[in-house]
Amino acid sequence: MDVPTTIPAIRINRFLPYWAVFGSDVRQTLSSWIYRLWVLLSVAAAIGYLLYRFGAKQQAGFVTPAPEMIGDLLTWIIWGSVTLIIVLTAGTISGERGSVADSVLSRGISRHQYFLGKWHARLAVILGTFFALAAIAIGGAYLLLHNDELTIIGSIVGVTVVAALLVLVITCGVSVSALSTSTVVSITIVWLMLYGAGFLMSLLPAHYPAPDRALQNLPNVLKGYYDIQMIGRLVSGALSLSILVAVAGMIGFARRDV
Amino acid sequence: MAENSSDLVVESFKLTKIYQNRQIALNDVTLRLEPGCVLGLLGHNGAGKTTLLRLILGLHRPTAGWVKVFGQTMTPNAAALRRRIGYIPTNPQFPRGMTPITYLDYIARLFGIPAQARKPRLASLIRAVDLLSVSGDPIDGFSNGMTARLAVACSLINEPDLLIWDEPTHGLDPEGRRSMLDLIKTLAREKTLIVSSHNLSDIDEVCNHAAVLSHGHLIYFGSLQDLKGRMRRNQYELDLDGDQKAITRVLNIIKAMSDFKSVGLRQRRLELRLNDDVNIASALANVFMTLADNKVTLISIRSMGQATEQAFLDLVEKEEARGFARAWQYSEAA
Repeated sequence: MDVPTTIPAIRINRFLPYWAVFGSDVRQTLSSWIYRLWVLLSVAAAIGYLLYRFGAKQQAGFVTPAPEMIGDLLTWIIWGSVTLIIVLTAGTISGERGSVADSVLSRGISRHQYFLGKWHARLAVILGTFFALAAIAIGGAYLLLHNDELTIIGSIVGVTVVAALLVLVITCGVSVSALSTSTVVSITIVWLMLYGAGFLMSLLPAHYPAPDRALQNLPNVLKGYYDIQMIGRLVSGALSLSILVAVAGMIGFARRDV
Repeated sequence: MAENSSDLVVESFKLTKIYQNRQIALNDVTLRLEPGCVLGLLGHNGAGKTTLLRLILGLHRPTAGWVKVFGQTMTPNAAALRRRIGYIPTNPQFPRGMTPITYLDYIARLFGIPAQARKPRLASLIRAVDLLSVSGDPIDGFSNGMTARLAVACSLINEPDLLIWDEPTHGLDPEGRRSMLDLIKTLAREKTLIVSSHNLSDIDEVCNHAAVLSHGHLIYFGSLQDLKGRMRRNQYELDLDGDQKAITRVLNIIKAMSDFKSVGLRQRRLELRLNDDVNIASALANVFMTLADNKVTLISIRSMGQATEQAFLDLVEKEEARGFARAWQYSEAA
């Protein structure tokens, strides 16, 4: 092996490591079987549900209001596929600890940049997929059912509420993954944490924003009937909590051995 | 000698690592590595070599003490310091589905090297490590040798000042090992290296300094010459040719000499162990005279045991033999 010729010193781009991890993780997530399974199940369930309702309308004349149908689909994404999303996020860092992460973290990247790259990549892929699926479902409902009750503003607000809850789920998954040494442990902790918190919040008085009440109210939101302050509190609460959890995960990760 | 500590490439002080209050991996390691050093890190399995390297890289946080690299304290977030280090782990792992080009590009981006600089650099490195013909193939199917060469390219892509190579010849065939050692020798002309290896002859060949770890404790740190100076130089093997009766006669004559602690004969190989205080040259001169007088031909003569290996084993043996006496020195030092 020859030694390559020395090249003059070059100007370092400090944000390049972040983008390298971000890009690599987006590709890694898109090619993972859990992601494909999640998309496949979501698409299959959405198509099956839409066709079932369309058939019921055509054959028997049973009409399901579009807002209720879309509300069901969005709720399904949260409750039905949240376990897959947890699996998809809870192994983000713990799954690589000790092997591939070594060959990355021993280079010119800080732990903070690595964590942020991973977190943002998972957010981008999962939220991007969710927005695409939601757009297809809402568009399909408009085209197939020609329902006037479904409002555009209500759809945007409804999708935003679900997206805010997804941000919290993803953030918890990535943060716990950064603090844990095993993917199985991460999945268990995140699952218990989210379902436990969801259950406890459902016990709060009605004027407190809670995920299950927000999801139950989705059909009304899609029709355009919503309390903007309540929605605002829920979305800002979920996003604030996400940031807090992410900061805790990032600081904890920077203090851990890999 | 570097007078100012900021001139040192690596400096550690009472560096200690205890894993989860269960395992003491490294204990009170203090060392100073000057620019241009090629440090061979020696020790048995579990001696703490990889832990020390990972602490230097900031992959682990010390339980006590500190480590400075290029005069600044190493932390997990010290990306700027790691930009000046090239690292090869013991068993390099690569993400699935990547090719040498995509992987090197990824590593170069992790160092923050912009496209106009990293593309030509990765191309020249791929050529330098003889991976040009497989540069578009998935890494998954690479042999140990090809993987090692790719790991070398990764460790050099940022033009580092300090190279940390953890068992770089591990799993390589003789040809690959030779190439790796030649590369280390070439790099040693302008860079500082820390090379960990089980193969003591490799360390002997390429390093000018040595650090010996035993059960997490640094039992030697200094020049390789000094380490070799501690070895026993009193064992020799002589391959002989001639009449068997004459060789047996020579054996008996040498056994009668007072210079030798033990004399043995296996087939036609004479094994000599000299007394500690004897003049080696005159003792061996007597042996040669005896061989000549009895018309026995000397085919070859060699010092028994590889120099560094013998010195390493002696050091570890002495450390073990001290037993509880070690506690006295440590408490005194503290």
